[in-house]
Amino acid sequence: MKSNTNVNRSTIYKVISVVAIGIFAFLFAFPLYWIITGSFKTAAAINSPTPQWWPSEWVMDNYQKLFSRQVAPLWEIHIPFTETSFAGPEVPAALRWLLNTVFMGVVSMILTCITAAMAGYALAKKRFIGRTIVFSAIVCAMALPKQVILIPLLREMSSLQLYNTIWAVIFPIVGWPFGVFLMKQFAEGIPGEMMEAARIDGAGEWKTFYTIALPLIKPGIGALAIFTFINSWNDYFMQLIMLSSTETLTISLGIAKLQAENATDFGLIMAGASLAAIPIIIIFLIFQKYFTKGITMGAVKG
Amino acid sequence: MKKKNPMSRALVRRETIAGYAFMVPSLIFFLGFVIYPMVQCVITSFFDSTMNRDDIFIGFANYAELFQDSVFLGALKNTIIIVVVSVPLTCIFSLWVSSVIYDLKGPLCSAFRCIFYLPVVTGSVAVTVVWKWMFNNYYGIFNYIGTNTGMIKQNINWLGDEKFALGCIILILLTTSVGQPIVLYVSALNNVDQSLVEAAQVDGATKMQCFWKIKWPQIMPTTLYILVITTINSFQCFALIQLLTSGGPNHSTDTIMYYIYYNAFKLYRYGYGNAMGVILAIIIAILSAVQFKMAKTD
Amino acid sequence: MKYRKILAMALSCVMAFSLAACGGGNADKKEDAQSDKTQEEDSNTEEAGEDAEEGESSASGKTKITLWTYPIGNWGDSATVEGLLANFHAAHDDIEVSVEYLDYANGDDQINTAIEGGQAPDIVMEGPERLVANWGAKGLMVDLSDLWTDEAKEAIYDSVENACQNNEGVFYEYPLCMTAHTMAINRDVFEKADALQYLDEEKGTWTTEGFQKAVEAVAASGQTTAVAAVYCKGQGGDQGTRALINNLYGGTFTNPEHTEYTANNDENVKALELLKSLEGINFDASLEGGDEVNMFCNGSTLAMAFCWNIAQEKNNAENLGFDVLPMAFPTESGDPQLCGGIWGFGIFDNDDDAKIEAAKTFIDFMANDETQVAESVKASSYWPVKDIGNIYEGDELMTEYSKFIPFMGDYYQVVSGWAEARTAWWNMLQQVGTGADAKTALDEFAATANTAAAN
Repeated sequence: MKSNTNVNRSTIYKVISVVAIGIFAFLFAFPLYWIITGSFKTAAAINSPTPQWWPSEWVMDNYQKLFSRQVAPLWEIHIPFTETSFAGPEVPAALRWLLNTVFMGVVSMILTCITAAMAGYALAKKRFIGRTIVFSAIVCAMALPKQVILIPLLREMSSLQLYNTIWAVIFPIVGWPFGVFLMKQFAEGIPGEMMEAARIDGAGEWKTFYTIALPLIKPGIGALAIFTFINSWNDYFMQLIMLSSTETLTISLGIAKLQAENATDFGLIMAGASLAAIPIIIIFLIFQKYFTKGITMGAVKG
Repeated sequence: MKKKNPMSRALVRRETIAGYAFMVPSLIFFLGFVIYPMVQCVITSFFDSTMNRDDIFIGFANYAELFQDSVFLGALKNTIIIVVVSVPLTCIFSLWVSSVIYDLKGPLCSAFRCIFYLPVVTGSVAVTVVWKWMFNNYYGIFNYIGTNTGMIKQNINWLGDEKFALGCIILILLTTSVGQPIVLYVSALNNVDQSLVEAAQVDGATKMQCFWKIKWPQIMPTTLYILVITTINSFQCFALIQLLTSGGPNHSTDTIMYYIYYNAFKLYRYGYGNAMGVILAIIIAILSAVQFKMAKTD
Repeated sequence: MKYRKILAMALSCVMAFSLAACGGGNADKKEDAQSDKTQEEDSNTEEAGEDAEEGESSASGKTKITLWTYPIGNWGDSATVEGLLANFHAAHDDIEVSVEYLDYANGDDQINTAIEGGQAPDIVMEGPERLVANWGAKGLMVDLSDLWTDEAKEAIYDSVENACQNNEGVFYEYPLCMTAHTMAINRDVFEKADALQYLDEEKGTWTTEGFQKAVEAVAASGQTTAVAAVYCKGQGGDQGTRALINNLYGGTFTNPEHTEYTANNDENVKALELLKSLEGINFDASLEGGDEVNMFCNGSTLAMAFCWNIAQEKNNAENLGFDVLPMAFPTESGDPQLCGGIWGFGIFDNDDDAKIEAAKTFIDFMANDETQVAESVKASSYWPVKDIGNIYEGDELMTEYSKFIPFMGDYYQVVSGWAEARTAWWNMLQQVGTGADAKTALDEFAATANTAAAN
């Protein structure tokens, strides 16, 4: 009898909680819903004092405006040590921003994974002189928000002549030592016997790393890749400081700029925001399983 | 690794060369874009450094000024409030959500998980656009609903009122930061050893007892990790402030992060800004040290 | 400078090497992929380097310069500016100008970061408060005295000439256009509230008392959410709040010599207290000038805008569903002193004579070329700074607004420490808005601003 009421009570608790969480979930999803529907509304509907919950009329005006604003070449590649350069076709600047953002995310991801996997492996498996010092420096620097060093970083990028290039955003992300720390945790799990066996077979350092260690820490690299990608996507601060011209902006900066320039045109801003949000959300939904797995794995080891 | 016999000298040398060879790519970025600027930051903090003039060495004057600068102290206070309020709230909220949804049947759990993670992937800038509209004094949705349902008597200027602005920032910060903790807790709760839970239930333990006595200790490491990352995240809160309030009204939403930016790019006081950076770094270092200690002892 | 370059070279070499090195393993395919990436990285690094290279010119021998403009009328609109540039490129095919568009909320930060990042634009288009009082005073701008020929000095109005130079007579701006900043009211709302009786529609002026009564009437009629907002989130549009407060009781902002901030006078205190006491006027720390304009233009939120001029009406023409009536700021004396805007070009000193020369050619073309100048001025939708005939023949709106030009007051935005002063100004308004005593807040403002001016 007693346990019966207990079960009932906990069921009721559960139902109520799920409903409450449903409401919260609705609130969380609302901004996104509003951005996307808002981008298809007419100016009158957006500015009306009573909110229009569902667009009464779907229009593409906002996107048209967004795409007709500014143009930029889709890409520019310079051949080193020459004056030759190739510029892509002229496209709406918003597309270039999107491409910049993806480029930034992917390149930081790749560079971070390569450098961190190698360094993490060395820290875990190589007993080299100075290892403890390097490791403690990494642990200490991990918690440091890189915004703290924005002024020196800006000056440094300027003297390296990287200011206003996407590299000024990428390099600090790659330098951020969390990746190394994470990969070290993963590499600790590589059994010493396997490395020993490889060595006896006559494999060099690189081959041992490549054939033995790398496959074993692959899941960790996956986790790190996802981490870095999200991180760089949301790294608004560095982008704000380092990038200044239409050709180098990222999509977040682009929308922030739209917002400042056109306080009067919410529809246009929403269109920009949708353009920024939708691709990454699609990526997220497709790779959802990996995202969750990556995040969890990072935490377990981190 | 062979640990039995002490390593020979040749081996040490080989290991060192190989070790650094593997470290080099990472070290270049780490030294070049983290350590070097950090050192520069510390050095410049002892100078009066501004645009288009040589730096003047002024010793600890920047630091001395900092602790008399009421705006800085206010910013420090706000930063601490944000951290102290948002970190526990994030943890509690995400733990509550996860504890309810982790054993839901079918796709419901992953649907919830997804929705709560959406603001993270959408990015704070895009989300902020909508929040700015929702909080608007004149036609924002909160005032619209509030006045229409009679919950508030007259329009509240959410972002323009000292009493509410920081609260609003914290609220938005929460929505963009619970995504990851929920994902983590859900998987941690799923990994709890079920046999222990069942054994306890047989012994007549209530759900509550089950949770605190058996599950809680098992998800403790996850909690610690979440604490660390949300703390770091809250310290870094910048985009929201820059886009929504610019630190106002009356510096009530100034954080150290924003005040550094403000000093550097509105007042051209680089040395002063760097001194703040150093202070912030020290605070964070102490906090992380404490958290690491806690993690070790547990 | 030299060791920086060496450092740059060294670092990029090491980076390239390190990437190549880590590709140097056994797996051939991987290696290829790696070195490709290195190539790419290298090329991009190079690209960055090249962009910043001093005195660089492309293969075709063109001098490349950059122009950053604030949204001055349609000088912030890419379609219009592209048209202007096309004219210039047709006349001078040895110079290539590329444009970036700034906004008033973040534009200053953006330029300041770019300066610190070593990539300041070559030409910037704005007014004396930035070109002369800020960047000019910091020694970042080029002296434009060779553009200011005797002929130019003769043609350009004296008040404009005075504003474009610092106290030592060094010119940092070459002006193109000017306007008087006014305020505006929603005529339809005023009419329904029966408040038009408090103002002189013909002349566009009203008294402080009339203003007060009008605000009360409009507030009582309840047609808009609020009557007006003293916006103070940031510096955007702050000339409006300054002019409003200075005009109400005839207070001043600086001394006539432009050496000191005098805003903490009794007249301004009284004005702030009046604004605070008026039902329907909010001190709003969540808005900037641009937001205010937006809320005025939607017709149902605000009935007055303090951040207004002809360009606002032109730019928002499509969205305006009501009759806008531009007004001078209310005064007791009936002699309003409007803040002027004087916009023109300044050149950042990027240590490159070729670029400076090219920039001067550009300015000369835009502001002095006989066929071009009318079009350049029209793009701003403001008035020329010298007599070039009536370029707005038959434009009713321009005629309506031109009645405010005689009210143009002293151009005081050239006191040194201006950037700090305007920061202190909006902070002062926020303080007053949240209940601080007006006198104390203004005193604090003056103290902060004068400290900055003294440095």
